[in-house]
Amino acid sequence: KMQTSWGASNIWDEFAKDYAQRVDEMSGGRMKIEVLPAGAVVAAFQVLDAVNDGVLDAAHSVPVYWYGKNKAASLFGTGPVFGGSATTMLSWFFAGGGEALYDELTQDIMGLDVKGYLGFPMFAQPFGWFKGEVNTVADLQGFKYRTVGLAADLMTRLGMSVAQLPGGEIVPAMERGVIDAFEFNNPSSDKDFGAQDVAKNYYLSSYHQASESFEYLFNRSFLEDLDLDLQAILKYAVEAASTANTAKAMDRYSADLKWLQDEAGVTVHRTSKEILDAQLKAWDELIPELETDPFMKKTLDSQRDWVQRVTYYELMNSPDYALAYDHYFPGRLKI
Amino acid sequence: MTDPQVALMMLGLFIVFVFLGFPIAFTLMAMGIGFGYYAYFDAARMWRGFNRLDETAGGWESFSLWIEGLFNNRIFDLFVNQTYTVMSNEVLTAVPLFLFMGYIVERANIVDRLFSTLNIASKNIPGSMGVAALITCALFATATGIVGAVVTLMGLLALPAMLKARYDPSFASGIICAGGTLGILIPPSIMLIVYAAASNVSIVRLYAGALLPGLTLVGLYLVYVVGRSILQPSSAPRPTDEEVPDIPMGKLLFMIMTSFLPLAFLILAVLGSILFGLATPTEAASIGALGGMLLAIVYRAMTWQRLRESVYLTVRTTAMVCWLFVGSYTFSAVFSYLGGEHLISDFVQGLDLSPIQFLIMAQIIIFLLGWPLEWSEIIIIFVPIFLPLLQFFEIDPLFFGILVALNLQTSFLTPPMAMSAYYLKGIAPPEVRLTQIFSGVMPFLFCVIVSMVLMYLFPQIVFYLPELFYGS
Amino acid sequence: MTGFIRFADNLSAWFGKAFAWLIVMMAVGTGYEVFVRYVLNSPTAWALDVSFIMYGTLFMMGGAYTLSRGGHVRGDFLYRLWQPRTQAKVDLVLYILFFFPGVSALIFAGWKYAARSWQYGEVSINSPAGIPIYQFKSVIVAAGILLFIQGIAQVCRCILAIRTNEWLAADEDVFETEDLLMREADKAEMDHHI
Ligand code: NA
Ligand code: NA
Repeated sequence: KMQTSWGASNIWDEFAKDYAQRVDEMSGGRMKIEVLPAGAVVAAFQVLDAVNDGVLDAAHSVPVYWYGKNKAASLFGTGPVFGGSATTMLSWFFAGGGEALYDELTQDIMGLDVKGYLGFPMFAQPFGWFKGEVNTVADLQGFKYRTVGLAADLMTRLGMSVAQLPGGEIVPAMERGVIDAFEFNNPSSDKDFGAQDVAKNYYLSSYHQASESFEYLFNRSFLEDLDLDLQAILKYAVEAASTANTAKAMDRYSADLKWLQDEAGVTVHRTSKEILDAQLKAWDELIPELETDPFMKKTLDSQRDWVQRVTYYELMNSPDYALAYDHYFPGRLKI
Repeated sequence: MTDPQVALMMLGLFIVFVFLGFPIAFTLMAMGIGFGYYAYFDAARMWRGFNRLDETAGGWESFSLWIEGLFNNRIFDLFVNQTYTVMSNEVLTAVPLFLFMGYIVERANIVDRLFSTLNIASKNIPGSMGVAALITCALFATATGIVGAVVTLMGLLALPAMLKARYDPSFASGIICAGGTLGILIPPSIMLIVYAAASNVSIVRLYAGALLPGLTLVGLYLVYVVGRSILQPSSAPRPTDEEVPDIPMGKLLFMIMTSFLPLAFLILAVLGSILFGLATPTEAASIGALGGMLLAIVYRAMTWQRLRESVYLTVRTTAMVCWLFVGSYTFSAVFSYLGGEHLISDFVQGLDLSPIQFLIMAQIIIFLLGWPLEWSEIIIIFVPIFLPLLQFFEIDPLFFGILVALNLQTSFLTPPMAMSAYYLKGIAPPEVRLTQIFSGVMPFLFCVIVSMVLMYLFPQIVFYLPELFYGS
Repeated sequence: MTGFIRFADNLSAWFGKAFAWLIVMMAVGTGYEVFVRYVLNSPTAWALDVSFIMYGTLFMMGGAYTLSRGGHVRGDFLYRLWQPRTQAKVDLVLYILFFFPGVSALIFAGWKYAARSWQYGEVSINSPAGIPIYQFKSVIVAAGILLFIQGIAQVCRCILAIRTNEWLAADEDVFETEDLLMREADKAEMDHHI
């Protein structure tokens, strides 16, 4: 039994089911995962405790949901990333030493009986939903804004007051006046919980959560009691689902963005350069604070080294996609 | 037996055990833990410590390991986890504050001021005292989310006055029972907060949605009271000048200013700030509680004793409601872990009902449950069973919640657990018989049913305000 | 036995009432948040955390007090028709079967849960203010201990009631308005008959 941190109508519930389907087929039906929505057994933010206790065999979540227990959790989801993309950072997890650091944090430092894998490099998360236009840092002052994890510290430095709520509570909180603005994750999830009903200005592009991945958490005793081939299937199905999720996300996220613009009357903006600059400056203030913790320092150094080398190659190598897009579909992009 | 069938058995056994009269919070907790113990049973884990013992181990040592093994089941961790989820539930934080506000306002001598003023103001309307009593109840319902106090306060105040004016005792007691029950429907209702916590519907939308239906019900009650007074004047004679004095307009205005306006202002501040999104219900409730204290001080009704009473009653009633949640969260976690929800929804979907048939069936079941049980048990335990089905039948959970709130008005009025009628009987003059109270209540039950039919025919009564304030 | 019942009643009432005053702090604290938000335009980061911590502590610590005063709702439309002796026999069995396993879990599994939280120095993730919540999780254990003691007192009550066919009521301190008025009405009627 695997519980997610998402509601049954969220597209991420489908992503979790993509994983379950792969495990089922790869194991020839020997292993069936029952995917339960958030709240079915425990609340969305309680899945780590529940997997550790064996109340759940597995969970489909994100590391920031438990960063109250240890702030370093954020570095495995939504850290500063130094200019890397989600793909860059997920590659760090697999090939740059990230997995060992993750195991050190969960198993050695926190002493948890869990084993986690990361999968699906999420696209950079939009700056979010606002009732009116926001173009300058001054426009943001005093807003009550929903985000999670380190992004909360970051947005506080931009002059906003931050509330961290699970996805399902965002729209009710907007209605109740608990918050004035929010970000969640992507056009499809945002649409599914009704963001367009409570705000009409959608700002894409942001450094606050430029990278994140799903966290597949397993109770370690449960995992180790399985046959070796089943353990391997659970592990490599994460990689398989990662590609499947990416394809589905490209298709759905883009279609839903179009729907939001054409059908729901949402105005899509790109976040202004002034605000993006201010975000980077806010990271500059935040990073030294994080680095006072030796484990965080070690992790950030590892990420920095990785990005410095890998993203140099990525950026030097990649052709100018915007140039080509504009060539074939002139006049559409407003960057 | 498959797991989902075990889950159904769990539900069935629970209903049987409820009848044993043990505190329901702990019955739920026990059912959740008992069946969860089965769901999470793992013999290997249980005997891990025990099996490691060598034969020389003493009796005490093996006994303690045996006990440890017995408790080595994950259900206990799940129970604690769910308890914490109730403790950190943001919606429920409004419960103690609204209770506190209600207890303070109850003790602030507001009801008698209001009733005597309205009595004079409405003197020339047929059934004037009944009208005054109903309006007092309705106003009071917007300041408190609980039932009981209003019925008894009005029973002591309005009932003797009406009987003295030769009102039909059955008619008069019906008015007070029905009027006194409005507090659980009209916001700020504790019941709607509890429904919001159980269903994940926004509490703000629920409050906005309940406002017009509440007023509609009050309107129907008034139509019945005035109508009957016209058709059958002997049941509600016009009070004599001695019973209700005529007083000059100026003085009447002053009475209205001092009794009606401060309360109206408090109500507006609380409901207005919620509906316009200025404050969360929790914040509005704290404003209401502080405002209620201020009002009580101005009316010279605030004593140390009364404050203490309000504080202690708040903790008790909050504990009553929230421990029910502790029990039911554990119960429902195990219920869905075993897959009971699927079985019920497959069964109901297999019945091939139309949405309206489903709606009527659900409401009849809730109505019948309202006879032996109280609203808190019904909302926290039974309503969540219907909630997952609403999506299948394309029924808005907001709409369903308002219908349930209307419906549960009847749970206070129908025997054998007719709390409103019992409260009234408790303080009424002995010549008022319980059967008279029940027969007086009947027409009001009919009004409730009419209002539910109206909601169904004109759903805009429910949706108009939420859509106006928060969009569709 | 009566002595122990009185001791447990008083203990539960003392804790229940002491923590009941959190409601006043909650009203004032939340009112303060509204004030600073609208008047000073600088909302606090901690208001939400503090309000649920107070709410959760209030009702958890009030559980035993409520139990001692018979305040937990029962489906009692049959129960109330029985003799006290019958009620007590049923209650006695159900306290042992239904009550103690769960309440013990609050203490033992709650201890494990809270200890883990202390070990992380866990903070709330509702706001970046980083309000600690490990102490709040310990409330589960405290509430469990109070309920356990009160539960033993309730078992004693059952045993007494089986012997005497009469329930030993707790010292009542406060009444709901309706109960208070009904008692006064009863008293007035009695006086009237005399
Ligand atoms: Na996000
Ligand atoms: Na009300």
